[in-house]
Amino acid sequence: MVVLRAGLCPGLTEEMIQLLRANSIQTVVDFVSSDLEDIAQKCSLSYKALVAVRRVLLAQFSAFPANGADLYEELKSSTAILPTGSTSLDQLLDSGLYTGEVTELMGAPGSGKTQVCLRIAASVSLGLKQHVLFLDSTGGFTASRLYQMLQAHAEEEEEQASSPGALQRIQVVRVFDIYEMLSALQELREHLSQQVVSSMGPLKIVVIDSVSAVIYPLLGGKQSEGLAIMMQLARELKTLAREFSLAVVVTNQVTRDSSTGPPKPALGRSWSFVPSTRVLLESKEVTLGKATTQRIASLAKSPRQPVGIQAELDIGSAVVTPTERL
Amino acid sequence: MQRDVGSVPLAPALRARLVSGGFQTVQELLETGPCGLSKEIGISKEEALEVLQVVRQECHGDAERTAARSGASRKCTALELLEEEQAQGFIITFCSALDNILGGGVQLTKITEVCGAPGVGKTQLCMQLAVDVQIPECFGGVAGEAVFIDTEGSFIVDRVVDIAAACVQHCHLIAEAHQEEDHLKALETFSVESILSHIYYFRCRDYIELLAQVYLLPDFLLEHSKVRLVVVDGIAFPFRHDFEDLSLRTRLLNGLAQQLIIIANDHKSAVVLTNQMTTRIGQSQSTLVPALGESWGHAATVRLIFHWNNSQRLATLYKSPSQKESTVPYHITSHGFRDVQPPAVTQHAEGAEMNPRKRPRREEEK
Amino acid sequence: MGDPFRRAESGTQLLARLEGRSALKNLEPYLFAEEGSPVHGDVIEFHGPEGTGKTEMLYHLVARCIIPKSGGGLEVKVMFIDTDYHFDMLRLVTILENRLAQRTEEIIKECLGRLFLVNCSSSTQLLLTLYSLENVFCTHPSLCLLILDSISAFYWIDRSNGGESLTLQEMNLKKCANFLGKLVSEHHLALFATTQMLMQKSANSAESFFPLKLTHETDTDYRPYLCKSWQQMVTHRIFFSKQCNSGNSKGFTVTSCHLKRNHVVKRSFSIAECGVQF
Repeated sequence: MVVLRAGLCPGLTEEMIQLLRANSIQTVVDFVSSDLEDIAQKCSLSYKALVAVRRVLLAQFSAFPANGADLYEELKSSTAILPTGSTSLDQLLDSGLYTGEVTELMGAPGSGKTQVCLRIAASVSLGLKQHVLFLDSTGGFTASRLYQMLQAHAEEEEEQASSPGALQRIQVVRVFDIYEMLSALQELREHLSQQVVSSMGPLKIVVIDSVSAVIYPLLGGKQSEGLAIMMQLARELKTLAREFSLAVVVTNQVTRDSSTGPPKPALGRSWSFVPSTRVLLESKEVTLGKATTQRIASLAKSPRQPVGIQAELDIGSAVVTPTERL
Repeated sequence: MQRDVGSVPLAPALRARLVSGGFQTVQELLETGPCGLSKEIGISKEEALEVLQVVRQECHGDAERTAARSGASRKCTALELLEEEQAQGFIITFCSALDNILGGGVQLTKITEVCGAPGVGKTQLCMQLAVDVQIPECFGGVAGEAVFIDTEGSFIVDRVVDIAAACVQHCHLIAEAHQEEDHLKALETFSVESILSHIYYFRCRDYIELLAQVYLLPDFLLEHSKVRLVVVDGIAFPFRHDFEDLSLRTRLLNGLAQQLIIIANDHKSAVVLTNQMTTRIGQSQSTLVPALGESWGHAATVRLIFHWNNSQRLATLYKSPSQKESTVPYHITSHGFRDVQPPAVTQHAEGAEMNPRKRPRREEEK
Repeated sequence: MGDPFRRAESGTQLLARLEGRSALKNLEPYLFAEEGSPVHGDVIEFHGPEGTGKTEMLYHLVARCIIPKSGGGLEVKVMFIDTDYHFDMLRLVTILENRLAQRTEEIIKECLGRLFLVNCSSSTQLLLTLYSLENVFCTHPSLCLLILDSISAFYWIDRSNGGESLTLQEMNLKKCANFLGKLVSEHHLALFATTQMLMQKSANSAESFFPLKLTHETDTDYRPYLCKSWQQMVTHRIFFSKQCNSGNSKGFTVTSCHLKRNHVVKRSFSIAECGVQF
């Protein structure tokens, strides 16, 4: 809904706008949805001129349909599949994280969501030499753990001394409420659309750990405000993913209908539609004082793979010692 | 500036007016200016100016806002963060086994939650940490101060005096063994009195007081910039009683968690919370789980569970971004929180003294 | 409405447009009670929670339409309006590859050439896009299927942007619904639109909406929340659900209700690599 103003499109003069306003036509929507013959009479404006303006406004503000064949061509060249750093998880996801999609990792506390996020960042940064944007809203980002993963990764690939470079390619922004998160994403969008490559190199992935931490405080009660802002975030993520061919990874908590019910994603029904791929992370067995690093990842939603398939993954056994230095 | 007007923190009624007036993106608002805006949607010029200020701050204000929050940078590369993490100290617990599984002690900038049954030693650890955070840097400490928010009234000052005296005594032994200039100088001001005067104690009797205290804490911390530890002893207590609206509780708790993360991050402080255990009735058996539900479990970055095995107290690291999950025994003595078999004091001291900025008890393990 | 484009329609275009009537026969007999296929002018709503196969069903319909007659398809054009950035082209291509006898790149592209896709990011943009699509429907007489996935995408944002006033909250959607109604009837289209199940069923909302018989037979927790204009134009409502026990090979169910005639039909289907299978 854009306000009509002079210079918005050719042929739309200040005089016309004043006349239209007098007939309570203020916005583009008001204009295009009204009967032009009627307006022409009421405002004593030329019908032809009005039709021309309507055509231009529609062309300017509507979305343009694309042909499926062209879109497919474009997609074939722009889609990339990014490795997660874990072979079993890659298999689960049909070879990795697809750009253009939002992938959600959900799990209970301590199920390894942050660990998987760190590993994805390490794998994309070191393996693909691509930049990573990591939005941390829980304070869980631990650079020393990431460094350790990079070292382990580098040893496997026999690439030495590349870890500092890989760390530099990972940009971390700590955002603690949803507005900060939206600002950070807005900033990213501007960078990408202006193709500023200076500070941020080629970017293929945005990791958000977690979305629930910033959305949860807004939900509940009778207000729909929280849901609206949540959907704004959802829209922003999906648009970024599609328009700039990014893989977007988000983490989410789980809830249960009853204490014995199966885990389902938190944030309610409206959010459940947002990610196109969803993976549930679970500990193998939960016994106090007998923790393991083995996790089970199950596919809860996917446009490609059958839902319900599982993979085992190890979220890392090595311990970071604070004496390790660069 | 293609950002949607709906994604800017404005009052709902005001936002509705802007949208129905035909404004869709932030760009359009900025181009219209305060006078135009006030005419366009019929608000006062002051209101219009306020709207634009919010919009500008939201869109360009990253730098300004960070500056307002005590200079903690929110945006950096992982490399810078690694350097930062490595430069940061830990708050030691005086139980070397526990320090080890935590990676050196309680981490600054992170939230650590300690869960356990009553009497297992949660408050003891909190009081110990409130003392230990003040250990001077030359002894391997972080030379900070502590905020102690108490919801259950379990803070016992006599106990803190004992713990503080043992800690001061310990540092004196180190200093005697090594006779170093900076040690002696540091000890001139490191006394039980000074320790007690740098624990800022707040008693919160219900959840409203607790929320108010936590939301006001950033202002307090601006005036007390040396605080490196914020303890909330008994996070669950105010939320367990008389709470009928569970969705409100979830919302308040999640908001509280975000506020604590902000405090930890912006003030380079450790945040330590204690939580009770509750019974979850499962299909075949019931298990003891931390209170406040699963959603709260995401609040803390590090989660420790204290429990008993016969007469032995055990600490299990249950969740940590950097450390392996494991279980160690600990002991509570008249001097405070300790290892089950305390290492000889002299050995102990050497470790702390050799590596002042690193883990104090690294050497003795070798 | 003084629309110059519509008036400019030539006799041949009119003929072609009206000829298109028969084109949707056998689109998917299983989805429709008794009559077997949608009639032009029908408005079919797909409703269900996440992960119950609504989008897969749309791909199925799209594939049926764009595959050439020689390959067993209907060879008609489809307009797909995607409001959720939900459409997955690669998935559609996989389905096409599985269904075509000759799976050459050329044939695939020929099929995809019959599909038009448009993304909308706000209810305002959706409305303006619908206005501008009118022209496209005039010039492409073989376009006879319009898909809108989903029409509920802007629900929360519009609700909050509208403030206290229900009229303001629903203004754009109402205009969209009215204009969709006009497009469908004037251009003889069939419209498929999805609505996401965003609300939980409230204790007493459903019975007022359905005749008693339907409520019992459908057994779904449906709660209408979109504006009245939309509710009134829907001719078929198809509920999607998923069975929890994975033992059944056909894990998904559609319950199709012809709202005018009170017909109800229940079918199960499964989703495989080649798409929906009844």
